[in-house]
Amino acid sequence: MSTDDLTSGHLQELRRGTVVLACLIRLRRPDYGYALLESLNGLGITVDSNTLYPLLRRLEKQGLLTSEWNTDEARPRKFYRTSPTGEHLATVLTDDWHLIDQALTRLTEGDAS
Amino acid sequence: MTATLTDRYVAAALRSAPEAQRPELERELRERIGDEVDALVEQGADAGDAEYRALTELGDPAALTAGYLDRPLHLIGPRYFLVWWRLLKLLWAVVLPIVAAAFVLAQLLAGAPANAIIGATVSVTLSTAVHMGFWTTLVFAVLERIPAEPGQRGIDEPWKPERLPQLDESGRPNRLADLIASLVFLAIAAVALVWQQFGWPWVPALESVPLLDPSLWSFWLPYFLVLLVLEAGFAVAVYARGWSWPLAFVNIALNIAFTVPVLWLLATGRLFNPAALEAIGWPWGDAGEVIVPLAVVLLLAGAVWDMVDGVIKAVRAQRSAGSRA
Repeated sequence: MSTDDLTSGHLQELRRGTVVLACLIRLRRPDYGYALLESLNGLGITVDSNTLYPLLRRLEKQGLLTSEWNTDEARPRKFYRTSPTGEHLATVLTDDWHLIDQALTRLTEGDAS
Repeated sequence: MTATLTDRYVAAALRSAPEAQRPELERELRERIGDEVDALVEQGADAGDAEYRALTELGDPAALTAGYLDRPLHLIGPRYFLVWWRLLKLLWAVVLPIVAAAFVLAQLLAGAPANAIIGATVSVTLSTAVHMGFWTTLVFAVLERIPAEPGQRGIDEPWKPERLPQLDESGRPNRLADLIASLVFLAIAAVALVWQQFGWPWVPALESVPLLDPSLWSFWLPYFLVLLVLEAGFAVAVYARGWSWPLAFVNIALNIAFTVPVLWLLATGRLFNPAALEAIGWPWGDAGEVIVPLAVVLLLAGAVWDMVDGVIKAVRAQRSAGSRA
C-alpha cells in the first residue's frame, strides 16, 4: 500500500462522521440528492454519490430527515429536510466536534497535561 | 419503443427489493440517474455515452439495492463469524470420528472387504463433513439476515473473561504422570503377554491353555515384546524432551508396527490358540460376528486417536516454543 493510499484511507475514516453532520446542517433548507452532493463537494466536504444516497435514506429511516416529493418539474425529485430530532442531533454533534477540535489543539500546543 | 439502459438498470435493481418498496425506490433511482446523466451532458458528453458512464458509476444494481435497503453483502458477518467457526470445528471434531467408527463397524458386521470399507468410510466421512458445513453455514447465513432485538447483539452470549482457555502448560509434573502411566501400562502388557503362555488360573477353562497361538513365539510374540520395550523408551524420550515432530512420527511408526501385525494375525486366524478358543466355546453363537468387528474398530480407533494425539501435541509444543522465542 502506497503512502497516498494510506493517507486517503485515514482521511476517509476521519471524515466519515462529518458527512452526517454536514447533511443535517445543510438540509435545514430542503434540497434533493444531487444538489446536496454538488453543494457539499463544492464546500470541500467530499462525498461519493454511492455513499450519500443510501445515507439519506438511512437518516430518513432514523427520523433525522423528512422527505417530500416535488413534482413541479419534469423529473420528480425527493426533497429532504432536517427534522427536529435531526436538528437536536446536529447540535450535539457540533458541540462534540468543537470539543474534539479543542482537545486536538491543546494536544498540538503541548499543554495536554 | 425499446427499453433504455436505464430501464434495464432500474428493473434489475428493483428485482431484489420487496414489492412494497419498489415504486418509491424506482422514483429515487430514476431521479438519481437522470440528474447524473444531465450533469455529464452539461459537461459535454453525448447523451448515450453519459447514460453508460452514469450507470457504470452506479455499479452492480444488486449491490446498489443492498446498500439502499441496508442489507448485508456477506454470508456471515463479524457478529456471528466466531460463533459459527467454533461450532463448526466442534461439530466436526465430535461427529466425524463417531460417524467414521460407526460406519467401519457396520461394514465389518456386513462382512465387506477391507479396501471397500476404507473407500466407503472416507467418502461417507467426507460427505458428512460437507453436509455439516453446508447446513450450519446456511442456518448462520439466515440468522445474519434477521435483525437482533433492540439492545441485543444477537443469539450469541456476551464474552466474559471466564471463557478464557487454560494455558497449555506442558510442564514436568504433567509429563511425569504421563510417563508413569505409560510405563505401568507397558509393564502390565509385557507380563500379560508372557503369563498367558501358562494359562489364566482364574478362568477355569483356560487354566493351563495358552490364550495366544504358541507358534507365535517363533517370531511375533518376541516382536511384540521388543515393541513394548521400544514403547517404554519412547515414553521416556517424550518425558525428557517433550513432544516434537520427530517423536510424533516415531509414535505413528510404533502404532503402525503394532496395529497392522495384530490385525493381520487376527484376520488370518493365527492370533489365538485354537485349543483356547475351543476351551472357551468360541464362537459364542452369533456374538462372535459382533465382537470381532467391534474389537477391530476399537483397536483401530485407539491407534488412530493415539497418532492424532501425538501430532496435536507436537503442533502445540512447536507453537508454544515459537511464541516463547
